[in-house]
Amino acid sequence: MKKAASLQQKEAMLGWWLILPSAIIILSLILYPIISNIVSSFFKVSLMDRDTFIGLENYRDIVSDPEFWKAVLTTLIYVVGTTLGTTLVGLGVAIVMNKTFPMRGLVRSLILLPYVAPVFSVVYAWKFIFDPVNGIFMDVMVERLGIFEQRFNLIGSPETALWVAIAFSIWKNFPFTYLMILSRLQAIDNSMYEAADVDGAGRWQQFRFITMPELYFVLGSIVLLRVIWNFNKFEDIYLLTDNLKVLSIYTYFKAFVGVIDLGQGSALVILQFALLIGFILLYVKKVLKW
Amino acid sequence: MVKARSIPGKIGLFLLVLLIVTFSIFPFLQIISTSLKYQWDWGNPSLIPTQINLDAYKELLNIGQKEKDVPQSVLNLINESDLTRQQRNEILTKYKDTSDVFPFMKYFRNSLSLSFLAATFSLLLAIMGAYSFSRLRYRGRAVIQRGVLFVYMIGGILLLIPLYRIAVALGFLATPAGTFTALLIIYLVQTLPVSLYMLGNFFRTIPYSIEEAALIEGVSRFGIIWRIVIPLAWSAIVTVFIYCFMIAWNEYLFASVFLKGYEQLYTLPIGLRSLFVSKNAIWDRIMAGSMMTAMPVIILFMAIQKNLTGGLSEGGVKG
Repeated sequence: MKKAASLQQKEAMLGWWLILPSAIIILSLILYPIISNIVSSFFKVSLMDRDTFIGLENYRDIVSDPEFWKAVLTTLIYVVGTTLGTTLVGLGVAIVMNKTFPMRGLVRSLILLPYVAPVFSVVYAWKFIFDPVNGIFMDVMVERLGIFEQRFNLIGSPETALWVAIAFSIWKNFPFTYLMILSRLQAIDNSMYEAADVDGAGRWQQFRFITMPELYFVLGSIVLLRVIWNFNKFEDIYLLTDNLKVLSIYTYFKAFVGVIDLGQGSALVILQFALLIGFILLYVKKVLKW
Repeated sequence: MVKARSIPGKIGLFLLVLLIVTFSIFPFLQIISTSLKYQWDWGNPSLIPTQINLDAYKELLNIGQKEKDVPQSVLNLINESDLTRQQRNEILTKYKDTSDVFPFMKYFRNSLSLSFLAATFSLLLAIMGAYSFSRLRYRGRAVIQRGVLFVYMIGGILLLIPLYRIAVALGFLATPAGTFTALLIIYLVQTLPVSLYMLGNFFRTIPYSIEEAALIEGVSRFGIIWRIVIPLAWSAIVTVFIYCFMIAWNEYLFASVFLKGYEQLYTLPIGLRSLFVSKNAIWDRIMAGSMMTAMPVIILFMAIQKNLTGGLSEGGVKG
């Protein structure tokens, strides 16, 4: 038996050696930074000098700043709007794509394009579409339909830019939700619908009592993933308009633009992360029922 | 549900599909259209350019730019006198207004080398790591597996400030080479959890009996990885490589902070944005740039589309 044990030990050693480089990188460049972030949120940070301990002052400054609460509200609207929008559009598209029609293969790959293309290049197409002078949106709204009196910059002011940012995010990410929902739809047993037909259930009843329950968990995990990713979104919003202050952009400006305050930036990041973790725990318990 | 549909039902479905496709690809058509239009044509809502203009592409690809800003009289003079090629080029460079040229190709090379290196290193480490926790048994394996999943959820903004401080403290940001290395390491960090997670999932689907047979015949574990696992997982490895490449290719946040002082290191996302904010009336060049930065990625993805859809539904992609 001694030989077997040593073989097992050898295997374990090899396992450790193989994972070691990745483990070192993840520990030193992900876990250590998170801890150091928590620590520096209690300090007045200076890149040149030593940091000075100031206790909770960074946090006090943040929560007493009305701009921060505005950023929290903006982030909430953005996350709720994009998550709901992306999930609903994805669901609708998945139901359509699950039907048979000519050239379905081509259509299915064409609608993946928004998700596949880099944000930093497609974002300019959106900026152009909503451009007050050249864009087609204002042309349709003002010249063709007469909904607005005159052309204006829709992504210029934070209030209207928020809705463009939400629309952009829905456009960019619906293929992801669509794919996940479609693969679940295809797995639903057809005999259930046949049985429902025999029992005289209508289209809506079939959707409500067969399709929806089958999709419950995939929709649940899509919503969770989208909330996590959209809550931390930076590029998609910042490149579209830099005056829409969601939390990540608010933090970026606090930490790296103008008066650089890395200590307060760290505290902001911690608050942002705490909000997210709080949501995840609640959600996993209530919705996914783990 | 394959059922016979009525005529209005068919038309309705067709209109729905048409609407979905238009919604998805309209911005791309807009990019192609505007990149080919003259400035006087931009406000025209039609997607078809009145007159095709290739100047934007020529400028970005640096074709025929040498003689653009040179006065005609000087050009005539140069062409008439018999100068050597070198002398001729020297005169031409003097006239060239360097501040007006957008060094697209340079940014392209920067992006390409960073993304390629990051994806390669990430894969090398991930093949070893993923093999380790999907096949070998040892204490702490479960912790590592769960840790990878947790780390995968962490957003970039959370790591930005501490990693920036570490890079400054270690003196990485003092030199261009150091800055490049720092960014490369960061992209490696950002892609490693994804590759570990996806490859780990894939390795588990390879039947262990093949490896067992090889083990009995005395092949070492490294031999197994090299001669059995890598060939069998080749399509997954290519897919993961492209994911990692994409993550690095698209990254804006870290690049914008780390590359602040080094214009020669700008990647495409930073370069395009700096072009956008620095000048007016550049829609054609911006759109040509968008086109040429999106194309390589779209082509890569279409090439692996079969694998892609599988990987996506396993939640393999962050975005």
